[in-house]
Amino acid sequence: MHFVVCAKQIPDPETPPSAFKIDATTNEVIPAQGFQPVLSQFDGIAAEAALRIKEAAGDDTKITVLSMGAESAQAAIKQVLAMGADEGVLLQDDAFEGGDSHTTAQVLAAAIKNLGDVDAVFCGRQAADWDMGQVGLLLAEALEWPVAILAKDVQIADGTMTTTRVLADGFETVTQSLPAVVTVSNEFGEPRYPKLQQIMQAAKKTVTTQTHDDLSINPGSVGAAGARLKLERLFIPESDTQVELIEGDTPEEQAQALVAKLQADKVL
Amino acid sequence: MAGQAAPGDKPGRLVGAWWVPALAISALGVYLALQVSSTEGAGRESLFNVAHPWSVYVFMSALVGLLVYGLVRHATLWRLGQPTQESMFSQVRQRLMNLGRLGLAQDKVRRDRYAGIMHWCIFSSIVVLTIVTAQVAIEDDTPLHFLEGRYYLFFSFYGDLFGLIGLIGVGMALNRRYFSDYHRIRWDERFEDHLIIVGLGLVLITGFLVEAFRIEVTELTQEPDWAKWSFVSYVLAEGLHIFEFPEGQVLSAHTWSWWLHVSLAFGWLGLIVFTRLDHLFFAPVNAFFLRTDSPGRLSRIENIEEREVFGIGYVQDFTWKQLFELDACVRCGRCTEVCPANLAGQPLSPMHLIQDLKGHLAEVGPDIQHAGNVGEDQRAVSPVAMVGEVIKDETLWACRTCGACVQECPVMIEHVPTIVDMRRYLVMDEARLPQTAQAALQNMEMRGHPWSGTALERTTWMEGLGDVPIFDGSQEYLYWVGCSGSLVERNLPITQAVFKLLTEAGSSFGVLGQEETCNGDPARRLGNEYLYQILAEQLVETFKSKNVQRVITNCPHCFNTFKNEYPQFDGHFEVLHHTEFLNDRLADGSLTATHQVSADITYHDSCYLGRINDVYDAPRQILEFVPGANVTEMRRNMSKGLCCGAGGGNMWQEEIGERRVNHVRSEEAIATGADQVISNCPFCIQMFEDGVPAVQPEEEGRLRPFDVAELLEQAVFGPQEAAPVAAAAEDDA
Repeated sequence: MHFVVCAKQIPDPETPPSAFKIDATTNEVIPAQGFQPVLSQFDGIAAEAALRIKEAAGDDTKITVLSMGAESAQAAIKQVLAMGADEGVLLQDDAFEGGDSHTTAQVLAAAIKNLGDVDAVFCGRQAADWDMGQVGLLLAEALEWPVAILAKDVQIADGTMTTTRVLADGFETVTQSLPAVVTVSNEFGEPRYPKLQQIMQAAKKTVTTQTHDDLSINPGSVGAAGARLKLERLFIPESDTQVELIEGDTPEEQAQALVAKLQADKVL
Repeated sequence: MAGQAAPGDKPGRLVGAWWVPALAISALGVYLALQVSSTEGAGRESLFNVAHPWSVYVFMSALVGLLVYGLVRHATLWRLGQPTQESMFSQVRQRLMNLGRLGLAQDKVRRDRYAGIMHWCIFSSIVVLTIVTAQVAIEDDTPLHFLEGRYYLFFSFYGDLFGLIGLIGVGMALNRRYFSDYHRIRWDERFEDHLIIVGLGLVLITGFLVEAFRIEVTELTQEPDWAKWSFVSYVLAEGLHIFEFPEGQVLSAHTWSWWLHVSLAFGWLGLIVFTRLDHLFFAPVNAFFLRTDSPGRLSRIENIEEREVFGIGYVQDFTWKQLFELDACVRCGRCTEVCPANLAGQPLSPMHLIQDLKGHLAEVGPDIQHAGNVGEDQRAVSPVAMVGEVIKDETLWACRTCGACVQECPVMIEHVPTIVDMRRYLVMDEARLPQTAQAALQNMEMRGHPWSGTALERTTWMEGLGDVPIFDGSQEYLYWVGCSGSLVERNLPITQAVFKLLTEAGSSFGVLGQEETCNGDPARRLGNEYLYQILAEQLVETFKSKNVQRVITNCPHCFNTFKNEYPQFDGHFEVLHHTEFLNDRLADGSLTATHQVSADITYHDSCYLGRINDVYDAPRQILEFVPGANVTEMRRNMSKGLCCGAGGGNMWQEEIGERRVNHVRSEEAIATGADQVISNCPFCIQMFEDGVPAVQPEEEGRLRPFDVAELLEQAVFGPQEAAPVAAAAEDDA
């Protein structure tokens, strides 16, 4: 079998709030100094899901890591390679930049078709920067494959994929035919810690880079040119805290004053 | 104050203090012997009343043969090990000093007073009585004759004296083993232990009996003045004399007791080959092999990128020295008694760890050797996994690398490097480690610090301090704040206090601010040597490019890493802990502590400043400079101090076991009645912040932890200037 893991490199979510800055004129996040971008944590979990199936199958299942992004995204790909994936492909092209979930899904779909014999695609439930959770679904749409989202368990056998999905009020088990797309939720478990030997091997693996030419994509249909979503304004919400001491001689009086205040402010 | 602390850590002299009484008594004997006027003809027929005394040499040959056999058997197992990094025959001068001080003078043994006296009694008795016996052999079997006259009397005297001393030692040992409540020496008790101590007692008693029978039929009546020199046997002979046994019976009893004594003595010596008595040889030799560099340094894995196996998961991957020292272990339990994990009921006993490894080596060693001889895979031999089955994962993770076991071990076993070697296997080869430790390591990889989830920046502590000089190579010192000093909220006041004190002292210094990265210490202690080497190499490069020569650190762990471990990466810097630097400034008058700080305090030695780097005095001297600070030492202090629980990467692990180590240590601090516990390490402070409220749920009157610098800040600037730190300041761990 051949699995694809989609991995996105994102600004470090642990950047302290004080170091998080945006450029209001260009509507862009200014990379925080001294904080390297990281692999989106949900994509690490997706990789773990693919690796466990590969290990359980014990056959010559191949896992390819796909990432669309800048040159620095090589590090994210290498991280998944160190976990045990076999090959890495970086989709890097100026034409891909400035897009939205839709254009990202188009590029990934083209790359997956280009790979040929793919049986299943594993995505994180969402990227931990924008938290939209769209690409997995749109990718399945573009590939015209079935999709299961928010999986806490994934099994693949005999041409079908069985997933247990996390719902608001319980779980749902779905069986679908391959090829299929799954987005894996954090309930699945933690990604593994790579063995040093795997890290060394991953460091020696070459990551192939592909552009719109390799994928036969019309540059006008992807990236900023193809985006259907327009970002109007990017801003850090302002929060304000005011403290008011409730007066009163006894706890009962204080409580009554508090209730009166909350009612006046229409909180109660 | 500092004077209250027992100065028990100064290296002892070759002739330990306890030799003095023995020498004095011997000198008295010599003096008395010289005073006796009629020693003319004093002496005795050696090997009196013994037929075929030559048979002793048969025993002796058998013993020598047995010893050689034992040695070869052990050596074949040691030889399975790998070469050591440090040559065991370099620094010979220091090694000989160790051999004398730790091997012969037994400095470490004496750290337990009772055991020290007991061991000295037994040890000196065996040594002296061996010399006594050898003299009899020389007198009898060579043309040399010297057991006569005054020397004979003196010889009789010290022979009996050391026989008696030996019996006192045996008595103390019996008391410990059979009449004390579950003493540490019984934590891994075996049959041989009874054999050794009862056997030695019998050898000594039969020795006296032989002598008493001889004296009863000879000197007692013929030369009573001489007989008195064998003062123990003389009393026994006088006792026998009351019964007026016929001479023939006494002579026959003498013969039988002589044979019994000789058989027991050689039998007992034969135990050396089969029991822990072998420490007689292995302990002093292990003292010779003791590392000559700092105990705070872990070994560097050379050419790590070219290796296939990184840590030690197979017994033959240890160095031969690590295998050798397994044989030196006498199961005395001192290591386990002081191990913080063990004290908290967590799954680590250093003694059992060493014994388990020793047992494993004995079990699989011969097969490994065979596999090597026939060219098979030596790693496939063992039917059990050394790491995981013989030594459990949780045992390795419970270690704080505090070095208390290494410090106490009377036979100089170094447990910590062995434990870290196996951690390296777990982390780098098996990728099997606690989730929280993994998160810390990954955070170090991704973000250059272990504090996952911190909302602070490396420059947050500078807010409100005005101009903080950035190190540019023109200043004398780099003030190294460290991850814990800048990214954990509780520690910011410590960093700020040190900064203010450095400024006040007029020191020339700068900080790296945003450019600081983890120096790798937690990665190395957690077993990720690869990550450590990457971080260390980067930082050495940064230091060199900025022309750093002298470093002042906040944290004893950074201190130890820069001082003891960076030389392995060609990073040679002069490193001071802030307490050392500030103490010097107080001493030279550039800082003055004038404000009264009335506080009952107790002082906690961090392991990496105290035990591992021997800095006990500087912080205590600072406390002496603080007006009104009234110090009470904890029960365990200085080199016997107890770890806070965070060492060895345990800051980032869930503790498994009955209790948490920081609760145990907090109890000890609270027991002093102090209202502040002062330390020198951000980890210790955090552990107390967490541990004290668990032991003292009432907030009122609760013990509050502070760094030495915070206390000094109050004394230098006054309580107004130094904003008090909220005792319950949360950390972001």
